[in-house]
Formats: sequence, structure tokens, C-alpha cells
Amino acid sequence: MGGLLGVFGKSPFEPLVEHARKVHECVKLVRPIADAILSGEQERLNELQFQMSKTEYEADQLKDGVRENLPHRYFLPVDREDIARFLAQMDRIADDAQDFAIVATFRRIGLPKEYHEEFLALVDKVVQVSEILLGVAEKLALLQKESFVGPDAEEVLSKIQEVARMEWESDKLSRKLARHYYGSSDLDPITIILIDKLCCALGGIANHAENVGKNLRLMITRR
Amino acid sequence: MVLTTLLIIALVGGLYMAWNIGANDVANAFGASVGGGALTIRHAIVLAAIFEFGGAFLVGAPVAETISGSIVSPDNFTVDPKVLAIGMLAALLGASIWLNIATFFGQPVSTTHAIIGGVVGFAVVSCGPACVHWLEMGTIAASWVVSPLIGGILAYSIYRWGIRRYVLNSRHPVFMAMAFVPVGMGALAAIVTFSVVFRGLPGLRLDLPLEWAAPIAAGAGLVVAAAIRLVLRKRMWRHGVPRAERYKTVERCFGYMQVATASYMSFAHGANDCANAIGPLAAAIQIIGNPTEVPAKIAIPPWLLAFGGIGIVLGLSTYGYKVIQTIGKNITEITPTRGFSSDFGTATTVLVFSKLGMPISTTFVVVGAVMGVGLARGFAALDLTVIRRIFMSWLITIPTSAVLSIVLYWLLMEIFG
Repeated sequence: MGGLLGVFGKSPFEPLVEHARKVHECVKLVRPIADAILSGEQERLNELQFQMSKTEYEADQLKDGVRENLPHRYFLPVDREDIARFLAQMDRIADDAQDFAIVATFRRIGLPKEYHEEFLALVDKVVQVSEILLGVAEKLALLQKESFVGPDAEEVLSKIQEVARMEWESDKLSRKLARHYYGSSDLDPITIILIDKLCCALGGIANHAENVGKNLRLMITRR
Repeated sequence: MVLTTLLIIALVGGLYMAWNIGANDVANAFGASVGGGALTIRHAIVLAAIFEFGGAFLVGAPVAETISGSIVSPDNFTVDPKVLAIGMLAALLGASIWLNIATFFGQPVSTTHAIIGGVVGFAVVSCGPACVHWLEMGTIAASWVVSPLIGGILAYSIYRWGIRRYVLNSRHPVFMAMAFVPVGMGALAAIVTFSVVFRGLPGLRLDLPLEWAAPIAAGAGLVVAAAIRLVLRKRMWRHGVPRAERYKTVERCFGYMQVATASYMSFAHGANDCANAIGPLAAAIQIIGNPTEVPAKIAIPPWLLAFGGIGIVLGLSTYGYKVIQTIGKNITEITPTRGFSSDFGTATTVLVFSKLGMPISTTFVVVGAVMGVGLARGFAALDLTVIRRIFMSWLITIPTSAVLSIVLYWLLMEIFG
């Protein structure tokens, strides 16, 4: 198509997948950080927080790259606002993961052994939500090639349901843990504040992951 | 002596214009096939040559008649018919010069808009605005608007309700893709056959009425479909294709059709655009042959169509060759499914308008078809400013070639008038 080749713009979908991968890298650091919190290794926490900030910054750069490549003159197979919302929610996952890392460095949190199991269960569940989400987001480029129909699209839609279900389960775990530490009489208030902040960050990761899934569903089913 | 010089200028002018037509547009048809690796450049040039010539020779007459006689009728030149001949020459040369300039700067321009601008230009200057059949011009202008829309609708329909619904959205996409190929090829064969035999060239006894043409075309379509089905059966993937390979296999199926649809595009382009060179040339030659007689109707002899076809072939094999070479292997966006939809939509639209004698811009129709596939969610990103620029270019092309044509007309009248 000779001189008409300029008509085809750069696809925004591959960069979106790259960003999603980088965001999950941030989330993967959450479990090592949780382990370090429970074992009280402040040095390790500082290291991990530094690594988390670096990864989150790289994610930000990828996000800016996607935004730059979405000029209004491009005609896309999905609504531009859907892509923008997808990107924004992904970004918030990375932000929440970074918050988790930073709060962990504020102070040595002496969490009694009775809370360890519940805390780690919540962490694992949240990381799992992010994993499933990544599996779904990675299909984005393939979905565009198949014009958002077919067995792959249907599989993605059902996986998005699974993300929502897992987010609900992580909510339950979070509430159970909250009742536990709020109801306790032997934890000092500052520890409770910090744990609450940590749980908020974790809950945020799961929430925003669910929102990303919803935006992806909109992208598939609209039009 | 004057007449002989005029004749030579006419033939050279016609050849020059045909050369420009071939150079300009071959990349539209074969760019995707060569860039995607389905064809070597050499094979592409050979196929383009065959099909451009075929389209020009077999289906080029109706549009040539329109350009040569329907925009400005010969009766207006009873005083001195030579003026018409000179005017047509001026139009040819003016349009060709503009085309050459635009191609040199890499801008996609419409050969059709250029020649019609040239013809209207000299007509207005030589015998006044009343000479131009504005009704016919209006119809032609309307067809410039309607043809990209129809190309778009056709491409949209093929992609959205054909490929997307029955192939991509099915439980067994590879099976459906393999079923689609004979249907697509059969339809292609039927349409091309119909265009050739339905009121085709009288000289070759191809001037058949509907009752004959329709069954023959349908028959050709069925034969091709059956033959393709047989060939595919041997390559049929009997065992299931692994999930991960599914999409790639579907695209490979459609890739088999890529060469055929590119040839189809060339055929349609030859049919519509050869007239841009041959129309004016036919008028000029007929008058030069009978300088005192005003022709009632401009005849389009087959040898002239062949002459135009050869000019196009020369253009595409010399300059068009270079254009395709620069395309490179980076056309990941025009996958075979999308390419088939937009090429088939474009070629069918162009061929239908050719049979109707309407000179349209194949470039515009291609853009319309690409937009159609884009609307059906076929492409990841389409740059609308490029599309707008292409459509805006006709605003420049028509006046510019008109002006060039007028200038050359005055020049030629000075020398030969």
C-alpha cells in the first residue's frame, strides 16, 4: 500500500501489556517485604523498598510511553477512555504496592505470632489476584488481533470473573484480620495504625486489580 | 506535417500518462503481499503486469468513453476540431506532469482527479464553461464521494459479518477459514468473469447479454471454488491445531488468497485508470485521423486499450518496482484477513464503477475500505490525519492539473493552432 502505509499507527496494545508486566513485578516484591516485616529485618526492608521504588518508576515511564502514543487523531478499536482508565487503575496497583513497601520502613513493627498466618494469607491472596490479572492482561494483544471475539475473548471474560471473586475473598481475609487486630488489647496503637495502613495498601492492590478487569471487560464487549 | 507532429505528441503523451498511472498505483495492490513475504518483487511485477493489462484491455472501454466524450462533447468543436485534439493533449500532458511531481515527493495522488481536472481545465478555456456537461461532471463528482463509501461498507461487511463472525468468533476458526477460502476465490472468479463477458469487448465476441453472462460467471465461480477446495483438502489440517497456533493458522489460510486478491486489485485498477490515459488519447487520435470531421462519438479501438495497458506495465515495472522495494517488511498491520477484506471490497467497488463507466479514484476507495475494516475493529490504530490529508489532496490535484492543462493548451495552440 505504498504511500498509504502512513495510515497505520503504532499499536497501543503491546505497550499496555509491557506496563502490566512491570506492575506485576512491583506486586511480586510484596511477599518478600511481608516476610521481612514479620522477621524484623530492617536492612532488608530498606533494600526491598529501594527496589520497589525503582520498579514503580520504570512502570511510570512505560505508562507515560503508552499515553504519548494515544493521540486523539488515532482511530482505535476500543474507546480511548477505556484504555486510559485501564492504564490508570494499573498505575494505582503499582502505587499501592509502593505504599506497602514504604510503610514497612517507617518503624520496626513487632507483630505477634498469632497474626502471622492471617497476614501472610492476605498477602498471598492479593498477589494471586495480581497474577491472574496479569495472565488476562497479557492476552490483550492477542485479543486485538482476533478483533475481540472468539473463544479467547470468552476465556478472558471468565478469567475476569475469577479476578473479581478472588478480590472478594481477599476482602474477607482483610476484614477477618482487621477484626483480630482491632479487637486485641495487647497491641500498641502505633502498631495497629501501621498494620492498618499495610492492609489498606494490600486491599487497594486487589481492588484496583478488579477494576482493571472491569475495564478490560468494557473494552471487549463495547462495540 | 503539423498533424504528424501532433500524432507523435499524442502517443507520447498517452504513454507518459499511462506510465505515471502504472508507477503510482501498483504498490497499492501488491505492497502488502510483497511486504508480508507472500511474493517476491519480481513475481509481483509479473502478476501486476498481466492483470493491469488484462483489466485495461478487457474492461477499460466504458470509462475511456466517458472521459473522451461525455465530459465535453465533440459537437462544440465543429469550427475547428483540431482544437479538441490539442486540448486533450494538453490535459494529458498537464495531468502527467503533476502526477510526476507528486510521485517524486512521495505523495499518493489520484490519477483520475488529475486527468479530469485537466480535461475540464482546457474545456472551460477553449470553448467556455457552457461546453462542459456539468450534469455528467456532477455525476462523476458524486461517484468520487460514493465509491469510497461503498468500498468502506463492502470491506466492513466482509470483515465484520464474514470473517469476524464466522471465522474469528467460531468454535473452530481454522475449519471455518479453510471453508472461507474457496468461497472467496469463487466469488472473485465470478465477479471478474462477469465484468469481462457482460457487455465486454465486441471485437473479441465478449459482448454478451445478461442471460449469458450471469450463468457463465456463476459457472466460472463454482469451478474455481471447487478446484480450490480440492487443493485445500490435500493440505487440510486433519488433526486439531494447538490452541496457541490457531490465530496464526487462520491468517495463513487467508494468506493463500492474498496473491489472488492483489491480482484482482490490479485488474480493477487497470480497468478504471487506463482510461485516464486512453480516453483523451482516443479523442485526439480520432480527430487527427479526420481533421475536418467532428466525430459524433469517440471510438475506443482495442489496440488503443492495449497501448495503454503496455504503458501501465512499463510504469509499474520501472518506477513502481522501486516504490515496492522501499516498503520493507514492516507491514505487520495488514494481516491477510484484513488485507483480504479491504482488497476485495476495493477491487469489487472499482470494477463495478468501471463497468458503469464512472472514472473513480482507486486511492480513495482503498482508504475507504481500510476505514471500513478499522470500524469493524480490524486495526490496532489508524492515523486519521493521514487519511484526511489524502482526501484533501484532491483539492490541490484538480485545480493544479487544470491550470497546467490550460497553460499547455495555450502553448500548443500557439505552436499548432
